[in-house]
Amino acid sequence: MTSPATAAPSVPPSLSLPPSQFARLQPHAYLLAHLSPPPAMNQPSVRANGRAASQFRVTSANAGSLTHTNGSAVVRIGDTAAVCGVRAELLHTEDIASWSVSQSSSATNQSNEAGGQGTDAENEVDRAQIEDLNLLVPNLSLSTGCAPGFIPSAPPSALAQSLSHQILSLLHSTRLVKADDLRVWYQPPNLEHIENEMDVDGGSENRHPREIKAFWVLYIDIMIISLAGNAFDAAWASVLAALRDTKLPKAWWDVDNETILCSEDINEAHKLSLRGMPIASSFCVFEADAAAGWRAVVIPDAEEQNAEKQKKKGPQSRWILADPDGYEEGLTMEKACVVVDKENGKTVILKMEKLGGWTIDTEDLRQLVDISAQRWDEMKQILG
Amino acid sequence: MSREAPLSVAERDFILKALQENTRLDGREADQFRPLSISFGEEYGHVKLQLGKTSIIVRISAEVTKPRDDRPFDGLFDISIELTAMGSPGWENGRTSDQEASVSHVLDRVVRHSNALDTESLCIVKGVSCWSIRADIHVIDYDGNLTDAACIAVMTGLQHFRRPDAVVRDGHVIVYKVEDRVPVALNITHKPLSVTFNSFNDGRDIIVDATLKEEQAAEGELVIGINSGGEVCFMSKFSGAPLDPLSIVSKVNVALEKVKALNAQVDKVLQVDLAKRAKLGMADESRAANDR
Amino acid sequence: MVGPTASLSNLHRADGSASYKCPATGFAVLGAVNGPVELPARRDALKPEEATVEVFVKPGNAVPGVGEKYVEGILRDVLSTVILRREKGLPRRGVVITLAIVGGEATERGDSYLTLLPALLHAAQLALISAAIPLPMTLATTLLGVTRSGEIIRDPSPAVAKAATSLHAISFSSKGHLLMNESLGRFDFDTWELVRQQAATICRGAATPGSDGDAAMGGTDNAHVDGFVRETVEDHLHRDYNWKLESI
Repeated sequence: MTSPATAAPSVPPSLSLPPSQFARLQPHAYLLAHLSPPPAMNQPSVRANGRAASQFRVTSANAGSLTHTNGSAVVRIGDTAAVCGVRAELLHTEDIASWSVSQSSSATNQSNEAGGQGTDAENEVDRAQIEDLNLLVPNLSLSTGCAPGFIPSAPPSALAQSLSHQILSLLHSTRLVKADDLRVWYQPPNLEHIENEMDVDGGSENRHPREIKAFWVLYIDIMIISLAGNAFDAAWASVLAALRDTKLPKAWWDVDNETILCSEDINEAHKLSLRGMPIASSFCVFEADAAAGWRAVVIPDAEEQNAEKQKKKGPQSRWILADPDGYEEGLTMEKACVVVDKENGKTVILKMEKLGGWTIDTEDLRQLVDISAQRWDEMKQILG
Repeated sequence: MSREAPLSVAERDFILKALQENTRLDGREADQFRPLSISFGEEYGHVKLQLGKTSIIVRISAEVTKPRDDRPFDGLFDISIELTAMGSPGWENGRTSDQEASVSHVLDRVVRHSNALDTESLCIVKGVSCWSIRADIHVIDYDGNLTDAACIAVMTGLQHFRRPDAVVRDGHVIVYKVEDRVPVALNITHKPLSVTFNSFNDGRDIIVDATLKEEQAAEGELVIGINSGGEVCFMSKFSGAPLDPLSIVSKVNVALEKVKALNAQVDKVLQVDLAKRAKLGMADESRAANDR
Repeated sequence: MVGPTASLSNLHRADGSASYKCPATGFAVLGAVNGPVELPARRDALKPEEATVEVFVKPGNAVPGVGEKYVEGILRDVLSTVILRREKGLPRRGVVITLAIVGGEATERGDSYLTLLPALLHAAQLALISAAIPLPMTLATTLLGVTRSGEIIRDPSPAVAKAATSLHAISFSSKGHLLMNESLGRFDFDTWELVRQQAATICRGAATPGSDGDAAMGGTDNAHVDGFVRETVEDHLHRDYNWKLESI
C-alpha cells in the first residue's frame, strides 16, 4: 500500500498505485487511512479532501444574479452549486375554489378579515393561507450532467422529488414567509363616511372592511448545476438567499378595470420580511469497520456500545463528517441534518433528523447542534 | 421485469380438459361467481371487498374544487387504480402495466361514462365551486377477475359514501362537518356492473369470474357492462380468439342475471351497515346527552 | 388510551404482509413485502454485496406525489438498517416493501408526514417479519408532540399535531439504539432530551438503567411499543403452530 503522499508515476513497472486509483479501487480503506493514519506517521486525522471532520467546504453566495426573476441567488458549497430563482405570479381570490368556502365549526371566518386580535389566530390564518392555498411552490431539478448518472430527458429522480418536498416542508414548518407579504388588499372607498361626516357615530369605518383580492404565489425553482454531495444544504441556502433577495412589485386592485395593476417603479416594490434565518447543516457518519458488516450479524446492544465507547479510548471507530462530499456520501449510511436559527443569541432548533444507522445518539446530536450553531454564524457572514 | 409466474403446460391442459367436461378447478358452475363478501370501514365510502381470493379496498373521498371551464355545471369524478406489488408480485411499483390501463378503461366506461354518478348534482355554485369525488382502488390480493371486483367495489363505495353537506349563503359556501349536519348521499342514477367472460376451447366453453389460473389459460375475453334494468352500457370483445355472435347475445342475458343478483347482495349489505350506523349514531347522541 | 392493533400475514399473494392501525391518530396501514426478488437490471445503484431495499407508499385517496417519494426515502434508510442485507440469498436481490394507507385523514401537500411515520414503520416491519426477511433487531416508533405550554403529548391526532410547536417521530431498536429521529418545529436541545427520554419509555418500557428514571413513568406504562410488536408476532406464531401445540 502506498501512502497517498508518495505516488511515483515515473517508475514504470511498479506495484504501487497513484492515490487517485487507490481511491477508486478501495474507497473505504482510502478514507479510513486518511482519518486514522498509523501512529508512526505522526499525521493528524484529516478527510481525504483535506478537511477536518467538522469543517464545512468553502461557501459562497451571490444574490440577484438572474434578471428576469423577482429574486435569485447562486450558492456554492465546494463543488456543489445551486441556483435558485423566485418568480411571483398573481392568484386572484376568485380563482381559488376553496376561497369562498368555510368550514362550519371553525369559528374564525378564515378569510376576508384582517384576522383577529390575538396573535395566535393571526398566526393560524397566516399558516392556513400559505399552506392551504399553496402559495409557495418550490421545485428542484438536478440538471443534466450535474453529476455522472444524470442523463438528458430523464424523469425527475427520486432524489430531486424528495428534495423538493423537504424544502417545501421546511418552508412550511419554519413559516419563513409571512402571508401578509403575499396579500394584495383592496380597501373600498368609504363613501358613506363623506355623507355622514357630521354624524357623531364613528362606527361606519367598520362597515367596509378591506378585502384580499389576490395573492402572490412564489414559484421557487432550484437548479442544482453541479452535485458533489450535500445537495440539501446548498439548495436550502439558495432558497433562503433568493427569498431574502425577492422584491414584490406594489400591486393594487383597480376598481374601474376590475383587475389588478402592478407598479413598475422599483422603489415601490417591497422586500419580503422573513421570519428568521434558518440554516441547514448536514452530516454523515463514516464507520471504520463497515467492511465487518460482511460478517457481523450480531449487532451490539446500545448499552454495550456505549460502555465500549467509554472503556477504550483507543482507535476511533467512527467519524461524524460535516458537509459530506459526493465521495464520502457514497461510503456512509448514517446521516444527520440539523436546521438551526438564532434569536437574540439563543440557538433554536427547527429541524433535527437522524437516520440510516444506530451510532448517533444524544451526545453526538448535542455536538452537532453546537457545530450547526457555529455554521449559522459563518453563513450569516456569507449571506450578509 | 417482474411478471406473473406463467402457467405450466400440464396445468393449462388440465384446466382446458376439465372445462371440456364442464368442470372447473374449484367445482363452480360455468356461470357461477365465487363467494362475494363486502364489509365497510369506519368512514363512509370505505369498502373492503373479497371475491374468492381477490381482495380490494376502495376509498371514496370528496373535496370542494373549481369546476372545469367548459363544464361549469358539472362536478368532477375520478376513478384511480394503481396496481402495486402488494396485489401480486408480478406487478411492479410505480409502473403502469397494460392490465392497469385496461381495467381503468373498463371502469371509466362502465361507471363514469354511463353517468352512474350524476355529476351535475355535484355542482355547488355554477363555474365557481363543485364537489370532486375520487374513488381510489387498492388491489391488495389478486386472484383473477379484477375488473368485476373493482366495479362492484366502486359502485358499492359510491352508494355507501356520504359527502358533507354544503350550503350557499350570500355567495359563501359553508361546508358542514359530518358531526354537525347529517351528510348527504350521492345521487346514483343507475347501478351498472361489469361481468367478464372468458372463453376456452375455441369458444365452446365460456365461464364467468375466472380465477387467475383460468385467466391465464383463457383464449379470449368478453366484458359486458349492464345495469339491473337490462341496459347494456359497455361491451368489449377486445382481443383473443373469435366468438360466435349468438353466444355473445346469450351471454348478455347471463350478465343481466348476474348483475341483478350482485346488486341485490350489495343492497342488502348496504342496508345492514346503514342500520348499524343509525343505531350507533343514536347511541352516540344519547351518550352525548347523558354527558351533558 | 386505546392501544394500536396489528395482524400478520393477511394477504395471499405477497410474500409477507401485515396491517397496523393506531386509533389515537386514526391511521391504518397495510404493508406487503416481496423478497428476496430479482430486480430489473435498469437499476444502476445496485450494490453487489447487499440487498436493495425498495419502498413504495400508496396514499389512501390521492395519487402518489413528491411527498411520498420523500417518506419512501426515510423509510428505506431506516428499514435498511434493520435488514441483514448481506445474509445468504439476499445480495443482489431486492426487498420490495409496499405500504398502502387504508385509513385516516389525507395528508396535505407539503406535509411533514411525521404523523404517519409510526404506522408506516410498524406495518413495514411486521410485514418484513411475516415475509421471513432476516432482521437483527426490531424497531419501535413513537410520535410525540410538544404543545405551546410545553406539555408532551403521545400520538397526537393530526389536528393536535398541526397546532403543536414541535413534533418528533423517534424510533428505537429493540437493543436500545436511537434508529431514527425526525423533529420539526421550534424547540431547544433540552426539550428534545425530555422528548427522547419519554420516547424511550414509550418504546422500550421501563426507563433505561443509566438515567434515574421517573417513578411515575416507569411504573404505569407497561404496555410499551416494543412489547406490542413482540406480542403481535408471538400471537401469530401461536396461531401458526396451534396444530403442533395441541398434539403435544
